[in-house]
Amino acid sequence: MTRDTFEVFGTTAVLLVTRPGAIGQARSIADRLLAEIDLACSRFRPDSELSRLNAAGGEPTPVSAIFADLLAVALRAARLTGGDVDPTCGRALAGLGYDQDFADVRAAGGAPPRLTGPVGPVPGWARVQLDRGGRRVRLEHGAQLDLGATAKARAADKCAEQIADRVDCGVLISLGGDVGVAGQPPPDGWPIRVTDDHAAPAWAAGQTVTITSGGLATSSTTVRTWTVGGRQVHHIIDPATGEPARSCWRTVSVAAGTCVDANTASTAAIIRGAAALDWLHAIGLPARLVRHDGTVETTAGWPYDDPGDAA
Amino acid sequence: MPQHDIRTAVRDREAGLAKITALSWRAGAAAVAVAGLLTAALGHHSSARAAPAEHRDNHGSIVIPAQPPGQAAGTGQVTSGAS
Repeated sequence: MTRDTFEVFGTTAVLLVTRPGAIGQARSIADRLLAEIDLACSRFRPDSELSRLNAAGGEPTPVSAIFADLLAVALRAARLTGGDVDPTCGRALAGLGYDQDFADVRAAGGAPPRLTGPVGPVPGWARVQLDRGGRRVRLEHGAQLDLGATAKARAADKCAEQIADRVDCGVLISLGGDVGVAGQPPPDGWPIRVTDDHAAPAWAAGQTVTITSGGLATSSTTVRTWTVGGRQVHHIIDPATGEPARSCWRTVSVAAGTCVDANTASTAAIIRGAAALDWLHAIGLPARLVRHDGTVETTAGWPYDDPGDAA
Repeated sequence: MPQHDIRTAVRDREAGLAKITALSWRAGAAAVAVAGLLTAALGHHSSARAAPAEHRDNHGSIVIPAQPPGQAAGTGQVTSGAS
C-alpha cells in the first residue's frame, strides 16, 4: 500500500494504491483530472465555466463536456432527492458570505451578510436548462449554481475509476472526506475512520468501517462553519428556506454504489432531519447518523459501533 | 339468356373482381405502411422504456453498495468526515 497526501479544492486529499511504485502515475492522473474539474466548476475562480455561466444573465452558454457531466450529476441528485440537494444554492451561499475560498471566509469572521433580509427559497433545479448533446446551459429566473455538494464526490469517483483502469491496481481517493474506491481492494477491504471532521486526528471519536467498492461520504453541520452577522452558519443549505439547514443530525455518513450517491444521500439526510431515517431504511442505504448529543442511529446493515467507539 | 349476354356478364364480373382485388392490395399495402410507421414511432418510446438495467440504476435511483460496510478495528487508512 502506498500513500500520498496533497491539497486540492481548499481541502486535503489522500490517495492510496495497492501496487507499490504506482503512486506517481496515480497522482499524475488525479492532478490532471482535478485541475480540469476545478477549472470547470469552481465558484471562486472568475475564469471557471461556472463563474461565466452564473454571470451570463440567463443567456444560453456553451459548456465543456466535463462541466456538462458535473451539472448532469448535480441535476440527477436534485431529482433523486425531490430537490433537497439542489445546485441552485449559489446565491444563498454568497448571501451568507461564502463567496470566496473557505479559509478566507472564516478569516473574515463577523462580516455582515452580502444580502439583507431573508433569502427565501432557492430558484430550484428546474430552472437549470441543460442541453447535454448541444453542450449549452441556461439559468432561468436568476438561478446561480453551486456544484459543491456533488462535484467533489464526482471527482473522487472519476479519479478512482481512471486510476484503477490505467494503473491496474486497487485505488482509494479521499477528497476532503468524500471517499471513492475502485479496482481490486485489499484483502480486508479499505478501512475508513468515520467522524465529524475529515481532518480530525486518528483517535477522534467515531467508528472504523471497511468498504470494498463504491464510495462513502460524510456530511456535517459542525465543520464548515463561520460567523456572519453575529450568528454561526454552515454550508448545507435547505433549498426550501435558502438558509443553513436546521437538522437534528450533526453528522451523517453513507455508503453507496458511488461516492456521488453517498454524498447525495448524506447531504439530503442532513436536510431532511428526522425523516431521513425512514427514507434511508426504505431505500436500503447503509448510513450512520449522529445527533447533536452524540447518540447514533444506523440503517440498512451499517455495522454497530464498537463499544469502545464514541460518536 | 342469349350466349353473348352470358359472356358479357362473365367479363363484367371478372373485371369487377379484378378491381376489388386491386383495391384490396392497395388497402393492404397502405395498412402495412401505416403499421410500419406506427411501429417506428411507438418502438422509439418502447426502447426508451426498456433501457438497460444499469442505465436505469444509474439515473433512476441512488445505487446501494454491493455490500454494506464491514466492522473494523483501529483508526483506518483515511478519515471520512466533513470538510
